[in-house]
Amino acid sequence: MRSPFAYVPRPRPLQLASPAAAVTYLGSLVVVAFLYSNPIALLSVGLAVVIAGRLAGAHAAVRAALWMGLTLAALIVVVNALVVSRGDTVLARLGEWPLFGQVDVTLEAIVAGLVLGLRAAVVMIAFAVYSACVDPDRVLRALRPLAGRSALTATLVSRLVPVAAADAARLRDAARLRGPGAAPVGRAPLARRLLAGSLDRAVDVAATLELRGYSLDAPRAKNRRSRSRYDRRFYATGLAVLAVAIAGKALGADSFSEYPATEIGTGATTLAVATAVVLSGLAPLRRRPQRARSVLSDRRTASNSLPAGGGI
Amino acid sequence: MQFATATRPAPALSIEGLTYTYPEAAIIALRGVSVTLPPGEFALLAGRSASGKSTLLRAACGLVPHFHGGEIDGRIEVAGIDAISAGPGELAAVVGYVAQDPETQVVSTTVAAEIELPLEMRGDPPASRARAVEEVALALAIPHLLDRAVDTLSGGELQRVALAAALVTRPRLVLLDEPTSQLDPVAGDELIWLLRRLNEEWGVTILLAEHRLERCLAAADRVIAMTSGSVSFDGSPPDFLTWAQDADQALETPAAKLFSLSGIAPLPVGVRDARRTLASSEHRAKGSRTPSSLNFFGEEGSAGRGRIAEKVQAVRRGSGSPSTTAVAVRDLWVELSRGDDERRDVLRGIDIAVRSGEQVALMGRNGAGKSTLLRSLAGLTDSLRGKIEIPGDIALLTQNPGDYLVRERVGDELPGDAGRAALSLVGLEQAIDADPCDLSGGERQRLALAIALAGRMDGEALPGLVALDEPTRGMDRARKDDLVGLIGDLAERGAGLLVATHDVEFAAAFAERVVLLGDGVVIADGPAAEVLSGGWYFATEVARVLDLPGVITPEQGAEVLRRPTEGS
Repeated sequence: MRSPFAYVPRPRPLQLASPAAAVTYLGSLVVVAFLYSNPIALLSVGLAVVIAGRLAGAHAAVRAALWMGLTLAALIVVVNALVVSRGDTVLARLGEWPLFGQVDVTLEAIVAGLVLGLRAAVVMIAFAVYSACVDPDRVLRALRPLAGRSALTATLVSRLVPVAAADAARLRDAARLRGPGAAPVGRAPLARRLLAGSLDRAVDVAATLELRGYSLDAPRAKNRRSRSRYDRRFYATGLAVLAVAIAGKALGADSFSEYPATEIGTGATTLAVATAVVLSGLAPLRRRPQRARSVLSDRRTASNSLPAGGGI
Repeated sequence: MQFATATRPAPALSIEGLTYTYPEAAIIALRGVSVTLPPGEFALLAGRSASGKSTLLRAACGLVPHFHGGEIDGRIEVAGIDAISAGPGELAAVVGYVAQDPETQVVSTTVAAEIELPLEMRGDPPASRARAVEEVALALAIPHLLDRAVDTLSGGELQRVALAAALVTRPRLVLLDEPTSQLDPVAGDELIWLLRRLNEEWGVTILLAEHRLERCLAAADRVIAMTSGSVSFDGSPPDFLTWAQDADQALETPAAKLFSLSGIAPLPVGVRDARRTLASSEHRAKGSRTPSSLNFFGEEGSAGRGRIAEKVQAVRRGSGSPSTTAVAVRDLWVELSRGDDERRDVLRGIDIAVRSGEQVALMGRNGAGKSTLLRSLAGLTDSLRGKIEIPGDIALLTQNPGDYLVRERVGDELPGDAGRAALSLVGLEQAIDADPCDLSGGERQRLALAIALAGRMDGEALPGLVALDEPTRGMDRARKDDLVGLIGDLAERGAGLLVATHDVEFAAAFAERVVLLGDGVVIADGPAAEVLSGGWYFATEVARVLDLPGVITPEQGAEVLRRPTEGS
């Protein structure tokens, strides 16, 4: 069973773009998620990465990341609501709890948790789209000039997610197969085991990379596919998103405060930034071909580049 | 007339006085190892688990010490290059390395990219890369896999891809660490003879570490045996068998054991050798004929054949005492995804039943559906159609026992009385305070089995089904014997045992019955003695030597072989 986050070659713009262009584009959306706390802006980033993922054909990855991200977001909301008692609008007084002390659930703490959870979910979805749409082989080759002396670094960057996804599936199966008398597997031991196991396996993969001559100072081979005609689109979109986000931030588009009372800015600049970010999700849209000839040309480009796997 | 003096080629591998210790390890992994392999030799590296075989291979390709660290002393030269000062990258031009676990050996997304990678790293132009990839794919019979994603390949296919990536640069030395451990008998045999062909035609020097010596001894020119990090034997395959007879019987091949139990010499290095010896004039003089047409039982021996036939019938009828059903599967169909959109039927109308106390081996080629069947029984995989009845409970141990171990103390994995009982069942009650990481491979497997069994016991009894998926991967003969004992113990407590395995000799040692799967359907289901003696690939070495129905183990074979000799 393949992991939903595994890279699948498809003749779509995001997959055909160079790793640097794809990373610029997806990275710009992640930067906005960290730059902004306004829920409208964060929701717009989430919407943009979901649209981008779906246009790139990464439906399974987006679905899985949405489920995982929203679960994590819900967990963050609950924890924040229980541990933070700040805020004017008290929804429930739950009395004295061991470790937590006096627990007052406030609307403001819930909204603050929601912002944190939303940010985590958005970043997870963006990583899922990256993992499913950006060819790790091309990432590995692109990293060679930067991390040629460290196969481990290259492996961690390009392979950790697929390796961890495969390990997670196996560990989940093993957890289900434990006898009723064995200690149940909590999330923390499982996460620890997953991290340790994935790092171990990444080290093994790095050893293989060393054996393939990754750290050699050989002349870089001529590659069959150096650039894609979609690169410019993704670089431009990424840089535009960053420019709009920074300008918007300077103009007060990130107007938001959690405490003592929640205030969410819904001004024109906020809405303009959100609209621009959502529209950026359309960047992976495939232009409908005008003539039959251009369809053939597209397909040939895709099929030539996929099996070869070579080149940046 | 004067002849130019030809320069002698440097040895493919030259190791002198190599001593090595892994970082923070208490035990020395290699002690004063000295080995020289001339170009074009096919050498087999034998030895028990943890004897230093893998470490020696890692040292020969530069991973030790460059990747693993540790303290090293001595000299290693690979095709004239000092492997201790040069790293694995520099050695990649002259050495190919294939490790035990193929999953950790693929770094690319598609097969073509994986094979092409070493050439690309070397800076070869695209045209020459394309040709080299095509040629190595043809040599290994995998051109149909070139466009496949690596995560859709079976273990056997992955192993071939890893071998192709190791061979594509045409290295002078190829190092292989148990390359057949995940392969079915057909693929395992094909791989060994493919290596022999590459060795003969390309002149590649091969150093192959392997536990299942019966698979590769006949292909080797030389055997190097290791014990506790030192070379304990270095010589020809026939001499190795004579040495193993006295020094370590766990390293004997089944055919050699058959001969030694029967008092026949010389010990055979393979099936052909054994059949020739048996057909020799000396044995004909004693009343035997060639194995393919013989009746080893003779007139007096008919009673022996009768005894084996009785055993076979007993398994067919079921054991004497009435027993309950541990699992019954009827018309089971399972479909799995192979890629993004592609789906195929992996199980196609399977019917199978296992009784309580019965020991059944589930065999078949890579991708035949063995693991999928076990996963379906355990509820990990949904079926399209069919019925699975498990009156009791099922405990499944998957191929990676380490996946069950998530805590840092054995006792924390198995708390309470149920946990203690499970630990005691697998003989690990003494290890309750140990860290699972400090246990040996066999102990870790037992601990994982205890975790799967905990709470499923009824006092001393063990109702239900215990399923093991490829439990002998990377195990030496001694550990396999321990596992056979454990399986017998579980069956005595009432569990039905269903064990998926590629290891024919292991199946012969424990199974009463063998179910053979082929492309998702049951193609044979019968007593082990019958199924494992009725074919060529899914037959034990003894069965292939003697070609007698029902005779699959060295002990059974020796009983048969001794009769005409005693009678004459």
